[in-house]
Amino acid sequence: MYNVAEVNAEACVAQKGCRLCIMYCPEANCIQMDMKNMKAVIVEARCKGCELCVVVCDAAKHNAIKMVAR
Amino acid sequence: MANRIQINKEFVDIMPQDYLDLVESGTYETPNRGWKDFGTATELIAEHSLCAGCPESIAFRHIMASIPNPEDTVMVGSTGCTSLVFPMIAVHNIHSLFGNQNAIATGLKRALAVRFPDRVKDVIVLAGDGATVDIGLDMTLQSWFRKERFTTICFDNELYANTGGQESGLMQKGFLAKMAPVGKRFEKVRLPEIARESGCDYVAIMTASKPSLVEKVIKQAVLIAREVGPTYIQIYTPCILEIGKQSMEGLQEMRTSEAPGERFKFREFISPEAQSFLDGLAEKKKAEKIATTT
Ligand SMILES: Cc1ncc(C[n+]2csc(CCOP(=O)(O)OP(=O)(O)O)c2C)c(N)n1
Ligand code: SF4
Ligand code: SF4
Ligand code: SF4
Ligand SMILES: [Mg+2]
Repeated sequence: MYNVAEVNAEACVAQKGCRLCIMYCPEANCIQMDMKNMKAVIVEARCKGCELCVVVCDAAKHNAIKMVAR
Repeated sequence: MANRIQINKEFVDIMPQDYLDLVESGTYETPNRGWKDFGTATELIAEHSLCAGCPESIAFRHIMASIPNPEDTVMVGSTGCTSLVFPMIAVHNIHSLFGNQNAIATGLKRALAVRFPDRVKDVIVLAGDGATVDIGLDMTLQSWFRKERFTTICFDNELYANTGGQESGLMQKGFLAKMAPVGKRFEKVRLPEIARESGCDYVAIMTASKPSLVEKVIKQAVLIAREVGPTYIQIYTPCILEIGKQSMEGLQEMRTSEAPGERFKFREFISPEAQSFLDGLAEKKKAEKIATTT
């Protein structure tokens, strides 16, 4: 089992300009902006499950990311 | 000069997708590249084997997004955790023997100036604290004494991470590590001050907690190294593994360590020559802005 991050598109406020998870994810090309829906999306194959995205998203009170088992 | 990064049409069908993405949407030849490209452009780093949550990875991302001229930059690395990332970056780079990075960069910068007299070629060293301050200190200092025109970046995690946590010159006094069990007896070496006294025209000490600040510092350091003299950046990239932090705690550790009075509070030294160069750049930018709005 392996933990990866998952974005809840309804809670994500990237359309208002938030880029926190994208800024701080340690992995390159791992959290992308879906420019059509203006939401953050995780590229699961690159996610190492560190949970830093959850920390920054929660600290900003967006609570849009949770870790899921794969 | 535009469109120098291209793919041979014959190879398109056999190249991996990651490679095609880089050619398509990597930010080469993009004057205002920066961290704002994250999430939309392809970054110049592929998957690597640093620990989950490692702040070295965060700093590496911010740096690779910020270097002003990636298509004409050669980076020089050294042994340590950073050397696990170097094979995965999409910029020319050399792996030097542990500690030799500033000597290699010196020769490289001079050779590039002879080989490409009409083209700007930037050289950037990126190495750990063990490589920069302990085993490579001679080479680090000699390159500064001789005013060699390249940027030295030290990923300061205050110990030898890659070999399991030995004491380094940049470790704090009193610190205990797995392979330094009696605690360090000496002060953290004041390399930023030594850099200033040794001839660097720009010195910054910081953490990787703010991508916009990393971007500003990297751009200044590379441009000053190009036109004025050597530059040095020391970035706190805590080794979460060796200091006993969880994978998601690296950012908080950096923020705590850069608070007022703490050892990584942001500090910058700019020589008068570098300052007048920066002032000139700002003037030019202002004039361009006025020209485009009128
Ligand atoms: C000439 C030489 N001496 C010693 C080593 C063993 N060695 C490998 S990594 C390392 C420490 C690296 O520490 P640092 O430069 O701080 O980088 P970090 O891993 O902490 O990022 C050492 C001593 C080596 N590879 N080559
Ligand atoms: S930090 Fe949260 S709200 Fe902001 S872009 Fe990421 S997922 Fe969306
Ligand atoms: S868990 Fe870590 S690696 Fe995965 S998306 Fe979040 S920040 Fe990136
Ligand atoms: S050992 Fe430390 S510095 Fe090296 S990758 Fe792991 S967390 Fe990062
Ligand atoms: Mg180190």
